[in-house]
Parts: sequence; C-alpha cells; structure tokens
Amino acid sequence: MLNIKNLSKQFGTRKVIDNVSFSVPQGGIAVLLGASGVGKSTLLRVLNNLETIDSGTIYLNGKPLDLTAASKEHTCGMVFQQFNLFPHMTVLENITFPLEKSAGKSSNQAQHIALELLKRYDLADKKDTYPSQLSGGQKQRLALARTIALRPQIICFDEPTSALDPLLTTHVANTIQELANAGYIVLIATHDTALLNTLRCSIYLMENGKIVETAQSDKLSENATQYPLIAKFISGVIE
Amino acid sequence: MIDFQLLTDSIPYLLRGAAVTLQIATLSCILGILFGTLCGLGLTSKNRLVRFLLSIYTTLFRGTPMLIQIVFVTIALPTLGIGFSRFWGVVWAIALNSGAYIAHIIKSGINSVSQGQREAGKTLGLSNTQIVRYIILPQAIRVVLPALGNEFITLIKDSSLASIVGVQELTKEGEILSSRTLDALTIYLGVALGYLIITTALSLLLSLIERRMNQHAQH
Repeated sequence: MLNIKNLSKQFGTRKVIDNVSFSVPQGGIAVLLGASGVGKSTLLRVLNNLETIDSGTIYLNGKPLDLTAASKEHTCGMVFQQFNLFPHMTVLENITFPLEKSAGKSSNQAQHIALELLKRYDLADKKDTYPSQLSGGQKQRLALARTIALRPQIICFDEPTSALDPLLTTHVANTIQELANAGYIVLIATHDTALLNTLRCSIYLMENGKIVETAQSDKLSENATQYPLIAKFISGVIE
Repeated sequence: MIDFQLLTDSIPYLLRGAAVTLQIATLSCILGILFGTLCGLGLTSKNRLVRFLLSIYTTLFRGTPMLIQIVFVTIALPTLGIGFSRFWGVVWAIALNSGAYIAHIIKSGINSVSQGQREAGKTLGLSNTQIVRYIILPQAIRVVLPALGNEFITLIKDSSLASIVGVQELTKEGEILSSRTLDALTIYLGVALGYLIITTALSLLLSLIERRMNQHAQH
C-alpha cells in the first residue's frame, strides 16, 4: 500500500503540489487527472526522486519511504511521456544496461530477463534494432519493459497516451490494467479521459496542485452526476 | 621550377619530420581530449567555483596566441625552474590550448543531450558517474564529432609552431633542407604535401567514424 500524506511542493512562490494526500493499495491504479500544469506530473517526479518535496510524507507498506534510497533500490519506476530511451543502445541493451550497471545482474542474467520481457511485449524480433527504428507503441512497450526489468513495486506513467496514436489507447489501458492485476501499484498522470473507460482505478482530479474531487471508475460510470467536476472535465468543460 | 629529384631525395627527411609531427599531434590530441572532456564536464557542473576556475583557464588559452603559449612553456617556464624537454613543452602547450577549445565543444555537446536522458538514468538507479559515462558522453560526442574533427586537424597544422623552439618536426625538417639546398619552392611544397596527406587521412578516418556513429542517430 502506498500512502501519500500532506505532500507539498513549491516552485518559487507557486505551489505545484498543495497538501495532497491519497493512497493506492497493492494492485491498485491511481489516475491523477487534470489539465497541463496542475502538478500531476510533478507528483510522479517526486516519487521518482526527480524533484524534492517541501513537506509531507510518503509511506510504502506502512514504512516511511526514503526517496533517495528508493531510487537506488528501484522501488519506483517511471515510463516517461517521451519514453526517454537511450538512442545509442539497441533495444536489448536498453534493458540489459540498467540491469547490469544498476541492479548488479551478470550479463547472462540480464540477457535472460531482457529477452523474456521482449518476448512478452512482442519486441523479440526488434532486439538488435535501435529505438529510432521503432514505432511509438513499440517505444512505449520497450520503456515499460526497461522499467519492469528492475522489478519496482510502484510504476508511474506520465501521460502514457499523449505521444501515441489514439487508436492505441485501449491497448495501453489493457497493458496498465494487467500490471495492476499482477500486483504492481500503478500511478498515472494524464489528461486523456479515454483511459478511464478501460481501467479499474481511483481517479483524482487535480486543479492548482490540489486534489479537488475523487472517484472510483466503476462508481463514476454508474452515476457521473455524483462527481460533477470529473464529469465536467471528461465532457471537456474546464473552468 | 620544382625539382622533382630533390623532392624525391627529401622524402626520408620529411618522413622523419612527419613522424615527429604525428607524435606531437597524437600526444597533444590525447591530452587535449582528456583536459577538454574533464573541463567540458566541469563547465556544465553546478559548482560555480569550478565553472569560474575553468572559465579562467579557457579564456587564458583561447585568448592568447598558441605561439606565445609554446614559447612560454618551453622557454619562459624553465627560468622559474619548471623544466620540460622542448618536445614535451610543445606537447603540453598544444594540449592545454586544444583542451580549452575541446572543453567548449564538449560542453555544447553535453547541453545538446536532453534532460530526459539524465532523468531516465536516474529513475533506473544509475549513479551520476554512470549516467555521464554511459549515457550523456556517448551521445554528446556523436553530436560534436565534426567540431572535434576540425579541432584535431587544426591541432596537426598548429604543431608546425614547434619548429620555432627547435623541435625537429616536419616544418623544421623543411626549414633545414631549404637552407641546405636553397630550393625553398620544392622543399616547402614537399612539407605542404606532408601536412595535406596527414590531414586528409585524418579527415577520411573521422568521416568514417562519424558515419558509423550516426547510423542510428535519431531518437
């Protein structure tokens, strides 16, 4: 269980995360929904030790999470909006390199893990090609495989559909749902409401760094009027 | 008129000089890359003192003529008890000069690599050293390879300044042959051809490396 309590983060005088609290159980998905600049990506960056926090505490399974140590121990993984694959390495090396250099696996172990993952994500025949030779969907699957290879407990997706063909949204949502079903804690920062049609998740609508409304995806589909702000966001009316 | 017989007879002497030129250029190049890369990394560091000290070094070496630097290292410094052989004095002077230019080339290369690459490395648990060594520098060097190639070619030509302090490299060999034979036209044509062969070979090698590295250049 991931518990985020009273998290705040300020850039200059601007509060980008303002006293945010929520929790995600093992195998749960939290969708941070909102327009650009509301602080949802910053929250994921905080979890991945790419930003520091001003105040608040993060607990994982009841214990306070040291974000610096967590980053080294691969507790949390991130699939970036632009994937951030290493362009000078082959598809296979993109996975084996962090396994060898960061997780201390031998070359053989790293190859074994990487090939299994490439097979699972339908990239086995691309192992010797370079990221520049992959489609958007393939790049995302590679970025996910690279993250999963390090066996994190939490996986963060920053705008997972924004760089992809809209037709791939359901496919991406299915992949994310499978990860949750496998026991990962999944956090998604997105403004793409189409993802909500497929995911079984908790939705946190963010505005100006705050969570302004919370809903469960199944409850939302049953009675959207109970969640006026989220319903408004989904219908495309942003005040 | 060009005396082709004299040109042919001069080849062994010119080759001897060219070998010294290549030695100076290779050693200066290796040391220059080392200084330049370290200083390039330093120039992108968050530490203001490091950046300030390195900017003094690069300003000093980019803002004064290489000839003065060579004379300073080989003739002026020994008066303070800091002595090198003429050969090594020239190598150090050229290396420090070249390093100052390479530092700025490497700095621009590092700045050209997207911040996302560093962040990806960090989220994968890599140390800062690993990120720089395996992710940032290989991509930065690919970007700046043409500029580095130009710098290496300039360095080979600049090594001719070593003749001023008596190091018997290609230009100095030409100077000696010219005063001995009194046929400056033929001898200096030979010297120029020597430099042209070396720089052309280097250009070809660099474009081959560049082509290989750029095969998979795009993200």
